This record gives sequence, C-alpha cells and structure tokens, in this order.
Amino acid sequence: MQDMSLTDLFVSLTNRIGLNYEFLATGYEAQIWRDGFITTLYLIALLIPVSLIAGLLFAACLTSGKIWLSAPVRGFIELTRNTPTLVQLMFSFLVLNTVVSNMLGGAQNNPLSPFFWVVAVVGLHIAALHAEAIRAGIEAVPASTVEAARGIGFSQLQILRYVEVPLAFRSSLPAIVNNLINLVKLTTVGNAIAVSEITYASIMVWTQRDNVVSLMIVILLFFSAINIIVARIGLWVERRLAVPGYGL
Amino acid sequence: MFAKTLTKAVFHLTLAVSALAATHASADSTLDRIKGRGALTVGVILSGAPFGYIDPKSQEQKGYNLDIAKALADDLGVKLETVTVTPPNRVQFLQQGKVDILIANMQYTEERAKVLDYVPTPYDRAGGAAVVRKDSGLKDWTDLKGKPVCVSQGSNYTQPLIETYGATVKALPSQPESLLALQGGNCVAAVHVGGTVALLLADRPEEWKDYAIPFPTELIPSDSVIWLRKGEKDTQAALDNSVKKLHASGKLIEFAKANRLLNTKYLEEEQKALSAAK
Repeated sequence: MQDMSLTDLFVSLTNRIGLNYEFLATGYEAQIWRDGFITTLYLIALLIPVSLIAGLLFAACLTSGKIWLSAPVRGFIELTRNTPTLVQLMFSFLVLNTVVSNMLGGAQNNPLSPFFWVVAVVGLHIAALHAEAIRAGIEAVPASTVEAARGIGFSQLQILRYVEVPLAFRSSLPAIVNNLINLVKLTTVGNAIAVSEITYASIMVWTQRDNVVSLMIVILLFFSAINIIVARIGLWVERRLAVPGYGL
Repeated sequence: MFAKTLTKAVFHLTLAVSALAATHASADSTLDRIKGRGALTVGVILSGAPFGYIDPKSQEQKGYNLDIAKALADDLGVKLETVTVTPPNRVQFLQQGKVDILIANMQYTEERAKVLDYVPTPYDRAGGAAVVRKDSGLKDWTDLKGKPVCVSQGSNYTQPLIETYGATVKALPSQPESLLALQGGNCVAAVHVGGTVALLLADRPEEWKDYAIPFPTELIPSDSVIWLRKGEKDTQAALDNSVKKLHASGKLIEFAKANRLLNTKYLEEEQKALSAAK
C-alpha cells in the first residue's frame, strides 16, 4: 500500500513538470521496465568477465609467435573490429542461429537464446579491442626484462604468466577501462533481437504511450551512473596496482 | 558547491522539458502551412503489401495507405510528399513537425488519443492474425499461453497477447525481422496486421508452404485512423470531410481492391452507411 502511494506521488509530481510516467501504475508495462534494468545489469555483470578472459586469450595467441595460433585470431579480430556490431548481431541471430537450428534438426533442439547471442557477439567484439590493448602492452615490455627472465630459466608460458602479462595489464588498463565503458553502452544493441534490456523495455513502453522524453532521461541517467562507477573502479584498480618507480 | 551545480542543472533540465511540453499546445497553423507550401507531408510505413511497400520494378512507393495519402492531397489541392517512418519513431516524427499527418497502420487506442488527435472517420478496420507452423498444433489464441510470440516493436497486439492470452512477447524492430525470427524457430507465432500476412502467404507459397493462419478470429479488430498533432482542429475537420467523401464515392473500396486487401467487409458497410446519409 505504502509502495503504491509512493508511485502515485512520483507520477503526479513528474506530471506537473510535463513528464509522463503513468505506466508505472499499471501492470505489465511497469513489470517489463523493471525487468529491463535487471537484464541490463545482468548483461553487464556477465559481459565484463567474458570479454576480459576472451581478450586475454586472444592477446596470448597474437603474441605467441606461432602462426597457426595468431593468424586465425588476427582474422577474427579484423572481422569483428571492422564491421558494425548491430549487423553482426542481426546476422548471428537471424542467419547463424537458423543454421544451428537446421543442423540440430529443428528449432526445438536449439538451446541458443537471443540473450546468448548478445553475450557472444558483444563479448567477443569487446574482447577483440581488449586483445589489441593487451598486445600493445605486451609488446611494450622491455626486451631486456624478457631476456633476463629467459636467462634465469623461465619457459615461454612462464614469461607470459609472470613477467609480460602483469606489466602489460598495468599499461593497458586505461584502454581496457575505456573498452568496458563502451561495453556497457553496447549492451543496448540487444533491443534489435528482443533481449529485454532497458532500451528494449523503454521502446515497448514509449511506442504505446509516446512518452519518449520521460524515458530517455531515465536511460541517460542510468547509463551515466553505471559508467561513472565502472570508471571509478578502473581508476581505483589502476592506483592499487601501480608499481612504484616503474612509471605505471 | 557540487550540490549547487546539480540543483542548477536539474532546474535547467526542468525548464527545457516544460518548454518542450508547451510547444504541443501551439495554435493550428498546419492547414495554412500545408496550403502555403502547396504540399501535404505524410508519414507512411513501408512494411509490406498491401498497405505500403516499394514496388521492385518501378522503385515507387505503392499500397493502400499511399493511395489514400494521394487522394487526400488531391482533395486539399496540394501535392503529396511522403516520409518513411517506423513504429518506434513515427510519433516523434509527427510531434517534431517532420510530417503533417500519419497514415501508418496505427489503430485507435485510448492511450494514443491522450497525446495525439485523430481523424474521427476510420479508413479501415484491421485486426491481428497469427502466422504459425502447420505442424505446431496451435488452434486458437488461447493456445499461445506461455509460448514465445513475435511481433514488431510498437505493435498494439503486445498488450492483449500478454494480458489476455499470457504469451511471452518478443518484439523485433519490424515485420520482416519478426517473420525471419518465426522461420528461425525463435517464436511459435508471428502476429501482424491480418491483411499483410495473409497476402504474404498467398504471394510466396513456396517459401511459406509450412505455415498457415489457422486461428478463426482476428485479434482486437480496431479502427485504423489518420493521426495528427494535438489541437489541430482545422486540419482534422478538412481531412475528416475528405475521408467521408472517399468512403461515400466508393473510392476506398476501389483502392482496397487494387491493392488486394482481402477483407473489404468493413469498407463496404461504411460506404453504404455514408452514401445513404448524403
């Protein structure tokens, strides 16, 4: 009851300054909209680790010096970096997904949901950007440091694990945080294939109620808030990991 | 300091928003402007035959909605300009003055009538039809409970599908994507304006041989009306007069037949009623 009257108060107050949030007092639209916030946050929480892990793997392949590892990854990175994410998503969902369905003998056997395709497409797209940033970082590790590590008997993998990645991660962190901020904004492409994130939910409401301005304000504030938090955490990690005297 | 800047920012935002809201209440100058410019700008949707589409041969815009737009412009004595709109952006195009009126598959709903004005005489009555696989076993709207159903974003079938029939609605940007999602097996049914999907199935029998429209009734048959900005009474009256004339003269039935609208029962009734009233 208390909750109900708070909603009414908010609706009538905002109504006075020309904003329309009347849908909050109704059933299914308010439900879709609330779920939209949760889906967006869930997507972001899932995509950040997925993109970081895939980006690290890509970077390791790129700098491995083995052509059979680096060539396919280089090809994939060029493809995903140079084509629009929205087109990749539509293609994956409407074409690849149908191919998978046909191979499995019908759509009922296909476990891949639109949500999966958003995570795969956006995650790998940002991973490609991470990989380039980390690769630059790895290549910036002084040759003498790597040589010293080899001199005390480290294997190629150990050098990557204990010497190159820790240093590369620190120097590529600003670029990675930038990519993560981009990732947060990219989750909105999900609306094109009916993943019920916040822009999809808002489109569902405003196409019926035509209160675009009211909902746009909320979307802008919501994404600004998330990205301020992401940027702050990035800055904190940067300071925390700084190596005194190394300049990183 | 920060709090002060924030208060200031909020105040400015509020001002901007209320200024935006105030522009809706401007005087009716649209009819004068249409006549002054010598052109009527109509927002149309080109989502497929029979209502609006691009003819592959001549690259021209064709369809029932286009024919009506042309006839209205002729009746006002001006030439026709069209702007292509989509369900998610059509109302903004109208409110920002990029188009004068919308003939864009928009049915009358109470919510819409709160923010926009409309021409009281409808130009068609349309309901939703569900395209489903023939082997799906779905017989009626109630069978959709708990199942994924594709629509286009902005469709007014969303609410009845969720609230009355308990379906899980997936809204894709427009009708072609929704139908592709149906063929890809992402939903069990695609619900769109009856006339459009019936014609699609009839025109491309090979591609759609596994699909049918089996439900006996249409979903919420409602009146398709022309929408315009709130408070434009002169334009509204002029257009209402034109639409009534098109009904009475049998022109609308002619357009419907030329564009192969399969169900013209409503138009015939309206023609009888309006020509008798004369």
